[in-house]
Amino acid sequence: MENNKITKKDLNRVFWRMQLLNVTNNYESMQAIGFLSSFVPILERLYGDKPKEQKVEAMKRHLKFFNSHVNSDALILGVAAAVEESTTEKEKETVVSVKTGLMGPLAGIGDSVLKFTWLPICGSIGASLALSGNFLGPILMFLLYNIVNVSSKYYGIHMGYEKGISLINGSETNILQRLTNMANIVGLMVVGGLIASSVKMKVALEFGAGENVILLQDLFDKVMPGLLSLLVTVAVYFILKKTNGKHAPLLILGTMIVCILLVTIGVL
Amino acid sequence: MITALLVAIWAGICAIDDIGTQMLRRPLLIAPIVGLIMGDLEAGLYIGATLEVMWMGVGNVGAYSAPDIISGTCIGTALGIASGGTEVAVALAVPTSLLAQQLLILYRSGIVALNPIAERMAETGDFKKIFRINFIPMAIAFLIRAVPTFIAIYFGATVIDTIVAALPANIMGGLNVAGKIIPAVGIGLLMLMMIKKADLWVFLIAGFALAVYLNLSVLAITLISLPLAFLYDLASQSKAVSNSMDDEEGELDL
Repeated sequence: MENNKITKKDLNRVFWRMQLLNVTNNYESMQAIGFLSSFVPILERLYGDKPKEQKVEAMKRHLKFFNSHVNSDALILGVAAAVEESTTEKEKETVVSVKTGLMGPLAGIGDSVLKFTWLPICGSIGASLALSGNFLGPILMFLLYNIVNVSSKYYGIHMGYEKGISLINGSETNILQRLTNMANIVGLMVVGGLIASSVKMKVALEFGAGENVILLQDLFDKVMPGLLSLLVTVAVYFILKKTNGKHAPLLILGTMIVCILLVTIGVL
Repeated sequence: MITALLVAIWAGICAIDDIGTQMLRRPLLIAPIVGLIMGDLEAGLYIGATLEVMWMGVGNVGAYSAPDIISGTCIGTALGIASGGTEVAVALAVPTSLLAQQLLILYRSGIVALNPIAERMAETGDFKKIFRINFIPMAIAFLIRAVPTFIAIYFGATVIDTIVAALPANIMGGLNVAGKIIPAVGIGLLMLMMIKKADLWVFLIAGFALAVYLNLSVLAITLISLPLAFLYDLASQSKAVSNSMDDEEGELDL
């Protein structure tokens, strides 16, 4: 058993392999095949000299349904490696239960911090540069996003392995939760700014005649600049909330049709 | 022909990235390259930025497959540049994304067939074999993005050109206006994810106010929001602590 210790190099091999983890994501076992194919360096180390039945058993164990967020997968791969290493052949159900226990909550954190906070922040910074014709926009977005994307996978595996099971009931989950909350605040303020800079709506209606023409848009601007942008976004938000966000493309097509109609009758 | 082929290959590369490394996968990172291939980087940047904001909150959550941003961006940008307009690009990106989404769903249902194969590989007890299973779906993913992109750009360019030329001014004008309002949908989706409690609205409004009254950029707002997020976290921490303190005091009073 002594020479079956997982090395840093094994974990790095897992890191390279997990770049393809999501390739086999399918509707039946989701990321299970990907998990096994990324996890193989660990199994090679632990089961290298074990009988064939145990190898088969180990591989089948990691082919059970598994689904999380790709960046959270790194942490789970690390934890699973630690658990595989510290359990005897009879205790292997622990590995599976640890994996299934972690995949749900960590997927939520991965989604909310990376996909719905960090990615939009990078995207809005990049987009605001690109809209003014600056080609640094996409480059900056790529760098900002991927520094976090790639390093979270790399350190996720190593941290997961080092902390092992203590990660599940330790104070780390509390820190992750606080991080999520903080990211949430930053994200919301950025989104607020984004409404002002990217949603633009101008009313073309006017009242009166001759010298005394009053543009409706001027009235809105006096109340608050960008008032219509805010109102339209909030309206869209409530429509999406009602439909649970599933019909966004339909809403986009609908907006197009409404806009064409409103332009035709001269409101916008 | 060659440009169509190059854009198709780029779409295929992005497709592999999308299921693998996940380093590109966003309109702003895809469209400028399409712009370069089509010979108009400026338009690529502009279309990419517009689509980026539009699809901002769109992404796969759990088992739900989102509209295929990659095909939509590639085809929309290429045809938009070919027929000269961001409006065309935006108008095309949505339906193509939706059509390609169906292909993706087919793909992810189709590769369910890999499960028994993986099972059989596991039976052999040979650890080395299992990694090879990744190459089949990678090839399929490349093709289901590259082939439709090629067909759409190669045959679509002239068709779209005639349609755009024949469209009345009010439709193009309407699409133009719509392009500036549609980002509200992406933003609305993000808000759906982020506003978990009603009191979080104040941060959204604060960000909006910073942008409209002080004309601050997104980067500036991000930096300003950092200390606020920190204070919020501190406040909610101390609230949790003082709550537990209150409990103890209550016990003492008894």
